[in-house]
Amino acid sequence: MREYEIVYIFDPVLTEDQINERLDRFHAHITEAGGEITAVDHWGKRQLAYPINKKTSGYYVVVQFTAEASILPELERTLKLDDDLVRYLIVLSEGEPTAPMSIATREPREDDEDDDEDDDEDDLDDEEED
Amino acid sequence: MARGRNRPCPLCESGIRYINYKDESTLSRFMTDAGKILPRRTTGMCARHQRQVGTAVKRARYLALVPYTYVYTD
Repeated sequence: MREYEIVYIFDPVLTEDQINERLDRFHAHITEAGGEITAVDHWGKRQLAYPINKKTSGYYVVVQFTAEASILPELERTLKLDDDLVRYLIVLSEGEPTAPMSIATREPREDDEDDDEDDDEDDLDDEEED
Repeated sequence: MARGRNRPCPLCESGIRYINYKDESTLSRFMTDAGKILPRRTTGMCARHQRQVGTAVKRARYLALVPYTYVYTD
């Protein structure tokens, strides 16, 4: 058994119910094969950074699960058949949070001034010089 | 040879173990304004962290969390 994380991007025209129906259908593959869904996080609709299939927004869902590697091909086949699933990504989970912002990576650096992100590139440039 | 001499990796120093591909505001710190991944010579990161950032940025691009490029005009 391994821990995986999957990110779905659904067509934003789908209703909440339609999305949940699809999630249940997809996840049946995992649970029937002895896997377990450990976390489901609906990010909801958000803007895509670039248009995909002429769509400018998508409904994001992040799911963490454990399963045997052997079930993945079947799961992926189901995902590919769904036309309303704009995109998906399955990766090995590193125990990260499912939220869009990771707390672990947001700890301020001690040597940072209190200025924010805009300045970071400049900082790096300065550091090179000395 | 690396500019800035033996400056330690900024991520190692701050104790960050993993870069999360879902955290686009952190990732944007390692990208140029055009959306490119900053090179090692600029970030000063160790190989492991640079690789993690690279992988994370590529995953985030695929998921449309960050753009491949900002050249789009619309």
